[in-house]
Amino acid sequence: MTDSTPHSSSIPASGPAVGQDEWVARHAARRLMPVGPLRTVEERLRIVPWWAWLVLFIAAMSLLPVVESSGYVRRVGFDTVLYMLLALGLNVVVGWGGLLDLGYVAFYGVGAYAYALLDSDKFGVHLPTLVAVPVVVVIGAVVGFLLGLPSRRLTGDYLAIVTLFFLQLFQTVMTNGDSAFGHNLTGGPNGILRIDPLHLFGHDLTVQHQGVFAVSYFYVALGFFAVVFVALRFVNSSRTGRAWRSLREDPLAAEAMGMPVNWLKLMSFSFGAAVAALTGTLFAALNASVFPLTFYFVLLITVYTMVILGGSGSQPGVVAGALIISPLLEMLRDPGKSRIIFFAVLIGGVGLAARRSRTLGVAAAATIAFGFAVHELARAIDASWVSGEKAGGFAGAVDHWVVHPAQLASWIPPVSYIGLIAATLLVTTLHGRLRLVALVPTLYLSAFVWENVMLAKPEPARYIVLGLILIALMILRPNGLLGERRVEIV
Amino acid sequence: MKKAIGLALAVLATSVVAASAQGAQKGSSAIAAGVSCKGTMKIAFLTPLTGGAGFLGNEQGSWAKYAVKTLAPAMHLKIQLVMGDTPVEQGAAVAQTLAQKYVGDRKVVGIIGPSTSGAVVAATQTFFQAGLAHISPSATKTDLTKRENGKLEGTPAFFRDVPGDYIQGPTDANYMIKTLHVKKVVIMDFQEPYSTGLAAAVERTLKAGGVSTTRLSASNTTTDYSAFVTKVPNDADIVFFPTQKPGDAQTFAQQLLEQGKKAKVFGGDGSNGPGQFKAPGSYVSNFAPDITGIKADAKIIAGWKKDNPKSTVGSFGPPSYGAVQIMLSAIKRACAADHGVIKNRHDVLRQMKRVKISNWILGGKFAFSTKSNDPLNAKFYIFKIQQDGSYKLVG
Amino acid sequence: MDQFTQLTVDALTLGSVYALIALGYTLIYGVLKLLNFAHGDVFMVGSFIGFGVLQLLGGTDNPVVPVWALLVIITFAAMAGCATLGVVIERFAYRPLRDAPRIAPLISALGVSFFLANSMQLLFGADPRNYNTFDLSNGALYLRGIDIGNVRVPLLRIITIVAAFVLMVLLWFLVNRTRTGKAMRATSFDREAAAMMGIDIDRVIVFTFVLGSALAGAAGVLFAVRVPTTVSIGFVAGLKGFTAAVIGGIGSIPGAMAGGLILGFAESYTQGYVSTKWSDLVVFSILIAFMIFRPQGLLGRPDISKV
Repeated sequence: MTDSTPHSSSIPASGPAVGQDEWVARHAARRLMPVGPLRTVEERLRIVPWWAWLVLFIAAMSLLPVVESSGYVRRVGFDTVLYMLLALGLNVVVGWGGLLDLGYVAFYGVGAYAYALLDSDKFGVHLPTLVAVPVVVVIGAVVGFLLGLPSRRLTGDYLAIVTLFFLQLFQTVMTNGDSAFGHNLTGGPNGILRIDPLHLFGHDLTVQHQGVFAVSYFYVALGFFAVVFVALRFVNSSRTGRAWRSLREDPLAAEAMGMPVNWLKLMSFSFGAAVAALTGTLFAALNASVFPLTFYFVLLITVYTMVILGGSGSQPGVVAGALIISPLLEMLRDPGKSRIIFFAVLIGGVGLAARRSRTLGVAAAATIAFGFAVHELARAIDASWVSGEKAGGFAGAVDHWVVHPAQLASWIPPVSYIGLIAATLLVTTLHGRLRLVALVPTLYLSAFVWENVMLAKPEPARYIVLGLILIALMILRPNGLLGERRVEIV
Repeated sequence: MKKAIGLALAVLATSVVAASAQGAQKGSSAIAAGVSCKGTMKIAFLTPLTGGAGFLGNEQGSWAKYAVKTLAPAMHLKIQLVMGDTPVEQGAAVAQTLAQKYVGDRKVVGIIGPSTSGAVVAATQTFFQAGLAHISPSATKTDLTKRENGKLEGTPAFFRDVPGDYIQGPTDANYMIKTLHVKKVVIMDFQEPYSTGLAAAVERTLKAGGVSTTRLSASNTTTDYSAFVTKVPNDADIVFFPTQKPGDAQTFAQQLLEQGKKAKVFGGDGSNGPGQFKAPGSYVSNFAPDITGIKADAKIIAGWKKDNPKSTVGSFGPPSYGAVQIMLSAIKRACAADHGVIKNRHDVLRQMKRVKISNWILGGKFAFSTKSNDPLNAKFYIFKIQQDGSYKLVG
Repeated sequence: MDQFTQLTVDALTLGSVYALIALGYTLIYGVLKLLNFAHGDVFMVGSFIGFGVLQLLGGTDNPVVPVWALLVIITFAAMAGCATLGVVIERFAYRPLRDAPRIAPLISALGVSFFLANSMQLLFGADPRNYNTFDLSNGALYLRGIDIGNVRVPLLRIITIVAAFVLMVLLWFLVNRTRTGKAMRATSFDREAAAMMGIDIDRVIVFTFVLGSALAGAAGVLFAVRVPTTVSIGFVAGLKGFTAAVIGGIGSIPGAMAGGLILGFAESYTQGYVSTKWSDLVVFSILIAFMIFRPQGLLGRPDISKV
């Protein structure tokens, strides 16, 4: 992957450049130097310019509807592209500007509602798509700018709360907007229905073809994605982009250097909001309807997880985040797939960790043995403890490994779940042998809880996973998968 | 060198995009092959299993499961019930995604739900275009089947086995006027589709009957209704409280007592919850009578209780049983008409309207109205809550 | 006039719960400069602990202890449970991030909030939980009380308001008149300097989380004795509590109390006299007005950043 920040990629060849700290540059270059067995491959790959990667990526994405004819999978693919767009926009505010904007999804809603009002029977306005979309983007940018105005003097946490209130306000206005000043402006809780589809090249883009998700929207979304990605990349490598980074690293120093800090904040708000609004038009046009509750806290957390997981500040990173989280959330709806994901992550995680320490491999083996032992013991005591529905994962091995009672007593879920949390926290505080010993039952307990408690209720389980990803990432790897590590100068 | 590689990749990728766009157009027009009636077919149920209305979906789900378990073998069908969760908090987009999911699954031949009116609006177009019939056991919003305010929100693929708010609103209002002889009524809504529609329907009839009404709207984040209770005039007779959370109705009734107001709470079908809403003297209306009083249902209730030992018979469950019964009957008819293979989902949809059931779980017989996809001659029932918290049928 | 009295009583009940939540925010923000988004969810967990213990004691239909003891026990149980929860959250989600950039613990806090709300839903479902306090001694808590003019202030509301104020006074005493309180204030003023003076910062922070979360637990019970609670109330409650803390001046204890009450009055009077729908808007406008014209809040001191 190419690095999204211009300075680090240009260093080795050209040496010190204006506006760039030599030490920082060298540090970055050293850090980015490929190591390990794949070194030559990595070095070769680095020759490929970023835009070629982008084209390649889009080409790969556009293959999806070809290899997959199921409307559901295509729809999930489309949603993933929407998430990629949302993540790119949020990355401007959080990753580049360093501002915690908790009202971000409200701009998505602003875009969707603006498009709905400009292109539906609601007020009988039907702007052509090529006019409506730019107008909506401008509206998004302006609203972002306006929200930025009272917030411009606020630092991190105050800003977070004002923007969160903005989200709440957006909800209030949209749900009560059916009787604002005696007019029905937003349809209130009933939303706005029968929104026009996008109209491009002389055709209405149909959402469905005989009930199967048609692919035109998917390609339009991909096109939007490409445009936004490139545009934001140019912004980031411009003067403004550099200023944003300095603002993020140290607002006080930036201000002391004479940077227009307030203006920069407003700019980053506006850019983020504009991207979100653009995405909103796609959402509204595809669903042909908008409702207030879509743009709320759950969506906010989802997009944040994508940005943080991928690595805030890195464009390829946040795209990767969306590519992982969006299908993951869909698959977690389905107990069968959910089970496979869990065990794959478990085995993969332990396997990766075991590469570094031999003892962990022992622990993994012990866990497997422990599981079969517990399972046999449970069967010996009472056969009904292992008589739950057979899942058949991994050639049925899982069925012989995890205890899965047919009927769960009502005390088991809370006790095992809270016990698992306690055990996990305990493992993180232990060291050496003790930790390995404690790890064995903890791993097994996690499998038990996943099989018996989480799979039964996919909806909260999905979001628990999101929350956990957020917490764990902040502690273990705040720069995410592909994010740029902050250079600390003391 | 760098440029050359990049350029080569770009050309390659562009051609792939062009090719795939071509191929995809062809792929999407492929029509699913028929489904054999001998093999396993699927019906999917979209209902809130989690979130604030989770109790509703779980009750409905338990009855639907029981219906599939007992009715399908009797009709010589192999049916698998798939549950899809549509929490009310997340709006309608979830229902749309799930609708795509089921449309994409060739074996799904019929849909139960969505349970909430908002989700029906969001999903019905997708089902209609796929020719997939769906029948809701609890979505009562008028506009789904009737063109009352000039806009029809449902599609011909949408059915329901309970009557809509165009019956519930007037039934409740007329009961207030004729039996309770009310002079002044406070009407609340909670800024979500269900309550705003029902509140408007009640308000219209009450106003036509010369009753003085006051409308209060609560935002969807309101947890404490104290200020609303304070605003209820001392001489108001009834507070119409069409919540989907029976516990809130209970709290409201207690706070009315607390402030010495004489008004009684009158809830809609969403306020039914004998465990939660039990303030004596209150009223609730519902699309189903208490089926424990229907002799023919005794066997069904006993069987359901065996599967769900800790639950009590509520009002949302039985119509779900009925909805499954209607859907299975339609599937069976389609199988007979198509000689053992359902060639097209349209065939099930076409049979829906012809389904007639003689021993209807809510009592009497069931058939669809000829004018809309609503049940024929269905009505709403009104219950009064007794001193011990039980519901007594009064109208 | 009667309506005014009634709304004032409503405002006091509402405001005292907001104030208790706001106190937790303010305390934690004071020593850690961290916006604890999970605080609202700790409040929610408190209301559920109260419910659970209430059921253990036989529920409201058939309590095994006298009514006053019942109320005291469930409140203390919730406080103890939440204090433990607060300590665990601090130890595992915030402490590793104490020296990270400021945005990191905020995001971690968002994660904790989301995790708590959904875990509760996983374990206990989305059904509302009603304490049914009306059933205690035949509704005496609702139907008896003090008459002011034509308005009766029911016992339950008096208990709520008084309990909240007692807790606030206790807290004030603890912070201003004890050694630990002094250490807290010193840490809040300048953490590094306090550490150099020999104050055990970790202990102070843990103690702060104990206090703040216990108050949230108490608030949870005081809220849920009157209104059904669900797993999703944490979000809005946290938002309101934080607003109250900001209005009063974040970091200031009397400020949080004042802020809570102001918010209660604003909400109650808006719903009573202006519009029931738009009360959130009024709350938001107050917050924005404070942010623009008096960012340090009513009783806070202006924040001077040191370089």
